[in-house]
Amino acid sequence: MRATVSRVGNAVTLIGLGLVLLSFYFTGRLDHYLHPQFRPYTLIAGFAFCFAGLVYGFVRSNVNCCVDGECLHSQAANPVRSLIACSVVLLPLVAGATFSRDGYDQQVVMNRGFVQDVNTLPIRSDISKANPPIPGSALGADIDETASANPADAPNAVPNATPATAGANAGPSNDEGSAQYLPIAPDGNIALEVTDLLYGESEESLRQLFADKTVEVIGQYLPGSGADQFKLVRMFIVCCAADARPLAVTVQAPAAMIASADMAWVRVIGRPEYTKNGDKSHVILKASKVEPTDPPAEAMLY
Amino acid sequence: MSWFNFSWQNFLFSFLALSFEGLPFVLYGSLLSGLIAAFVPSKVITGILPNNRILATLASGLLGILFPVCECGIVPVIRRLLNKGLPLSCAVTFMLASPIVNPIVAFSTFAAFRGQSPTLVMLTRIVIGYIVAVLVGLIAGTRKPEEILRSGVVGTPARKRLAFSLAPFIDNPKAGGLKEKSIGAIRLACEDFLDTSLYFILGAAVAATFNTAVDQQVILPLASSNTLSTAALMLFSAVLTLCSTSDAFIAATFASFPMVARIAFMVFGPMFDLKLFFLYSVLFKKRFVGSLAIGLFFIIGIICSLLLPFLYASYGF
Repeated sequence: MRATVSRVGNAVTLIGLGLVLLSFYFTGRLDHYLHPQFRPYTLIAGFAFCFAGLVYGFVRSNVNCCVDGECLHSQAANPVRSLIACSVVLLPLVAGATFSRDGYDQQVVMNRGFVQDVNTLPIRSDISKANPPIPGSALGADIDETASANPADAPNAVPNATPATAGANAGPSNDEGSAQYLPIAPDGNIALEVTDLLYGESEESLRQLFADKTVEVIGQYLPGSGADQFKLVRMFIVCCAADARPLAVTVQAPAAMIASADMAWVRVIGRPEYTKNGDKSHVILKASKVEPTDPPAEAMLY
Repeated sequence: MSWFNFSWQNFLFSFLALSFEGLPFVLYGSLLSGLIAAFVPSKVITGILPNNRILATLASGLLGILFPVCECGIVPVIRRLLNKGLPLSCAVTFMLASPIVNPIVAFSTFAAFRGQSPTLVMLTRIVIGYIVAVLVGLIAGTRKPEEILRSGVVGTPARKRLAFSLAPFIDNPKAGGLKEKSIGAIRLACEDFLDTSLYFILGAAVAATFNTAVDQQVILPLASSNTLSTAALMLFSAVLTLCSTSDAFIAATFASFPMVARIAFMVFGPMFDLKLFFLYSVLFKKRFVGSLAIGLFFIIGIICSLLLPFLYASYGF
């Protein structure tokens, strides 16, 4: 009887785990937590947990896990162990699934600090090539050339180049022809990510490309140092949300325009301005409009 | 601002992310371990080792490539192999190397460190794990088995008390049908998973707290020293008692710490932690278990904090 109760309890734990994983996958909540590369593993594991739980708990067999007297799982038939497993493994996940808001508050941003140099972010080449924030053609590449998420990897971009060199190699970066390949938002503005503006700090070709353009950037609001400033934050992840690192662009806007809750999603329309400070450039987005918006489909940047 | 700012919202988000990322790998490792237990005869393992003791020890460090068993499942396997006459040096080497030198761990390490020189991290972890395991195995081989092993471990009649279980399948592969073996493999995998995931969930909770609540500025002085950070993360891995199939996902999040310290975390943890202290005590005398802990701490600490930075610098990493 004890063994049966324990077996059914363990099976419930395993099936419960599977259902939690599957519900996160099929409701799309998993997108907030994991890099796309890891999501299929979670889906497969969800089904595997359910299958293993059903076999473990409800398929009749005389097969035990180990040799009698040498079994490492000495408490396998103990209902208390089953209860502990359920309490420690399943309940926290169910509680988390119920109460999690699928995002961080500003405290994590403050604890982790902003990434100072966007070029130090780990980006894998195949992912970069699959989802370039700026089309390679906009950076001067041929149409059929593969673009890169890191502009430093772009065919005609020259990392750490002097402006003159970069200008010479950037090809049509000032050309209207290249600008037409920039992603356009529904209202006609150029849709950029926070990372694009930050890459511009080290890329002359991007700075030229963005010059005098009205851009639209979505991010999370965080109060700035002054009344007319705030930080537009995005979290960058490599594997999962646990390793998320905050990226931010300073936004300058009339104080009356800034009225958002901390870490609320906002859409900022404005013009990026790059100012030189020694060898480094620093971007400030001069906003003409700041408005609340829904979170993007992918809340994290990769 | 305080150095510790706990928030349930942040904790739950980070905890769930770690769980969703790591639990599938714990399950896959358990399933593979169960399949090996059910379908691979143990004589295959002992049969492929050379007769020369040193060569056999060197080969034992690579057995995990063919028979990937994590540290949670290795102790009963070692006990069975010792019973079948596997030399002590080979048993200790296999026990320490298998949780690291195996394809599942290599894959999970590569996946966890994507974007952070994953190939280099994976190879470094495997090579250091192999060297340390062989070194400790050879040292253990210089002692008499009765000085190290608990009485009754070798030659126990337990293995002769064959119930209808997976062990008879190992010794007699023709016993039982495919269905029975498969069910046995799944049951073994489920038991291993439930045991292992307890420690994984606790580890994920500690890691989530550390990563979201602690002001990273506070730990920067610790993280700036290779020696201090290596020692700190090795102790941390011993407390967290993570499974080697998923510990890389935790280690990858300690971005404030140097890479050498994170590698030490991933080499020391699978070889010795709180959970393994109890598991090893099933096989070995307490004195050996204590010596093993101290020896591993210093060997891995020296390699990771002193030699590894030098090697990385020499090759321009």
